[in-house]
Amino acid sequence: VTTLRRRLIPYLFLAPALVLLGIFVVYPIIAVVGYSFTDFDIVTPPVPVGLDNYRALLDDDSFWLSIQHSLIYLIVTPILIVLSICLAIVVNRAMRGIHIFRALYFVPAVSGSIAIGLAWTWLFDRNGFINSVLLSWGLIDTPVQWLANPSMVLPIAMLLTIWAGVGYYSVIFLAGLQNIPEELYDAARIDGCNDIQKHRHVSLPGLRPQITFVAVISSLAALKVFDEIYVLTGKTGGILDSGVTIVFYLWKQAFVIGEAGYASAVAMALLAITLVFSIVNVRFLERGQGEA
Amino acid sequence: VTSRKLLAAGLAMVVLAGACSSAAATPSPAPSTAATTAPTTAPASQPASEAPSESVAPASPTPLAADPAEAVIPNVEQGAEIGFWTFYLSPTFDPYIKDTIARFEATYPGVKVKWEDHQASFKDDLNNAFNAKTAPDVINLSVSEGWVSEYAGKGVLLPLDDKVDQKVKDVYFPGLWKEQLIDGVNFQFPWYQGLNVELLNTAILEKAGFTAETFPKTIDGLPALCQAVKDKAASLCTIRLTISDLLAQMVYEGNVKVLSDDGKKFTFDSPEGVAWLQMYVDMVKAGTVDNTVLTTTDDRVGLNAFIAGGSPFYASGPNLARQVKDQNATLYENLGMVQTPLGKSNVSGKGLMSLSVKGDTKYPNASIALAQFFTNPRAMVEFAKLVPVYPSSQSAFEDPFFASAPAAIEDSARPIAKDIIATYADIVPTVPEKAKVNEIVRKAIESALFGGKGAQEALSGAVAEANGLIK
Repeated sequence: VTTLRRRLIPYLFLAPALVLLGIFVVYPIIAVVGYSFTDFDIVTPPVPVGLDNYRALLDDDSFWLSIQHSLIYLIVTPILIVLSICLAIVVNRAMRGIHIFRALYFVPAVSGSIAIGLAWTWLFDRNGFINSVLLSWGLIDTPVQWLANPSMVLPIAMLLTIWAGVGYYSVIFLAGLQNIPEELYDAARIDGCNDIQKHRHVSLPGLRPQITFVAVISSLAALKVFDEIYVLTGKTGGILDSGVTIVFYLWKQAFVIGEAGYASAVAMALLAITLVFSIVNVRFLERGQGEA
Repeated sequence: VTSRKLLAAGLAMVVLAGACSSAAATPSPAPSTAATTAPTTAPASQPASEAPSESVAPASPTPLAADPAEAVIPNVEQGAEIGFWTFYLSPTFDPYIKDTIARFEATYPGVKVKWEDHQASFKDDLNNAFNAKTAPDVINLSVSEGWVSEYAGKGVLLPLDDKVDQKVKDVYFPGLWKEQLIDGVNFQFPWYQGLNVELLNTAILEKAGFTAETFPKTIDGLPALCQAVKDKAASLCTIRLTISDLLAQMVYEGNVKVLSDDGKKFTFDSPEGVAWLQMYVDMVKAGTVDNTVLTTTDDRVGLNAFIAGGSPFYASGPNLARQVKDQNATLYENLGMVQTPLGKSNVSGKGLMSLSVKGDTKYPNASIALAQFFTNPRAMVEFAKLVPVYPSSQSAFEDPFFASAPAAIEDSARPIAKDIIATYADIVPTVPEKAKVNEIVRKAIESALFGGKGAQEALSGAVAEANGLIK
């Protein structure tokens, strides 16, 4: 009895978390798998349709376009890493007021993404700040319709993501830099390294675990991007679907068009993509940790 | 837990699953985590002109006394407790709604009403409620956004034609009683109506050589006006396509026959349809319209541009002139208001708001009574006195209030409101697979407007694709 009780007690402690996980994670995932095989409009009961939703996915140009956009969005990851490391190096020094600079760079990370998106919408509005500045400097004759230009929607959204993320990720790199022993820099200096060489041969290798970590989370965040697109395009996804990413497409199918069954199939496709990414990333992470 | 909520949670969790599996101890990335929350919190599209007014706090008049003459629905179930949902009316109109409910309960003793107002999440909430079988008995649905046809098409609303006496039907303007038929059947009591007007920035229009009097009376005149605005006033027109119901816009503006008589084929690639689209294509090519406003689903994008003073006109409701007054006093001094230019159909529009009854209500007569009570002439006149909305019945306009001289520009359409509303009619046929077809049409129209595709090619492609959806 004692042995049994000893075995059960850990599960008792785990039970609250497991129950919540079961209700809010496992069951919804199973439900979505089920819905993906149905024609479901949310209002009326789902009707089984077999593999129809998955067949439709294969022929759906908008779905493939959304995947293409999501993959393009991954470009933010290397840019974020480079800029965040540079910023971390800049603020990793003892100087008066440096804490204020560090806090300022972190402000976007603690601001609501919808609020940031709205602010950027005003920036890029036809009568917004950017056009006003360009007009006053004589660089343009008439206001540019930035967000109505299909080739500009995705770059502006990516720029927003980078701007909002660089402060957050630089904190991670800053922590990494501060963990690198000063002796290594001293040794590099003695070996004749200049400042750039010092960071190339000491800082970057020392930051490898953080780089891998940031690559993982920022690429997954990029795959899941929604707020920026939702706000910047006024819930449309942009002219000619120019800003539609896979999560936006999923949302639109489920909650605008009312094709929740089809949206569930899109969600399953997204799950497959993120799982592949996760597996690849975990491999890199493990290798990075092993070598660090 | 409803299936709808489960779905939202499930979709979000599926998105998260990959992230979670990458590293158990990985903290959530701070930026860009939208997918996990946005689907469940995203506000529904809410046309600015739909809500009577957000900026006005009306004075609470003395509540009307109960009048037995208002009890026109027989056999109301005793002991009925009916749920009632409105859209964007609280807190501004709380006194009016509560007083009217109190009068209804006094008029129909034994019936209790539980009122809730839902706002940005109205449609999500309603979908949830239908899914969980907890939908309210009486629902405030937008006619102009096609919500009545959407829910009636799903079989969740009560057909009213054979449940309401002819003398009760005759209270309403005939065009409004029939403003959103599904296969010839009506599912709504027409409630408060709006007028389709153009708010004018007369300062910009004067620069372009136009006045309120010379503002185009038909949409054919818009391209020339917008060209003049661009050339002479260095501004752009803020015209919004009805992205959520493009076929309806084709019908009203272009007099396009969108569906064959037998309902088996779409026909919106006709010369009329192509001509309608070509007008917008030409304006986009000429660079005379704000493209962001043209294709947005959010009415407030254009309204905000207008209120900021940067556009010559914007189609809206007269009630929203008060937002101009509150937010841009300079523009308010230059504000004009004219009737929206007519399209080739010569029909000025369809109704705005309605009250429908859910199909499986336990108390059909009590629910019908409530929907009828809120839309009767007496209740509607009281509402119209609070805010520039208009009744759905002819007799309501006999109240001296509608003959009184308007004091403010937002009320300037009051004397002609009856004549305008009397012409409202839904001339759009019931479109099968409406949401999917609309998405096909949207893509086609955008490809013509911005993608370089010819109008004929774009619409013919859309017709072929949409025909594939007809079973």
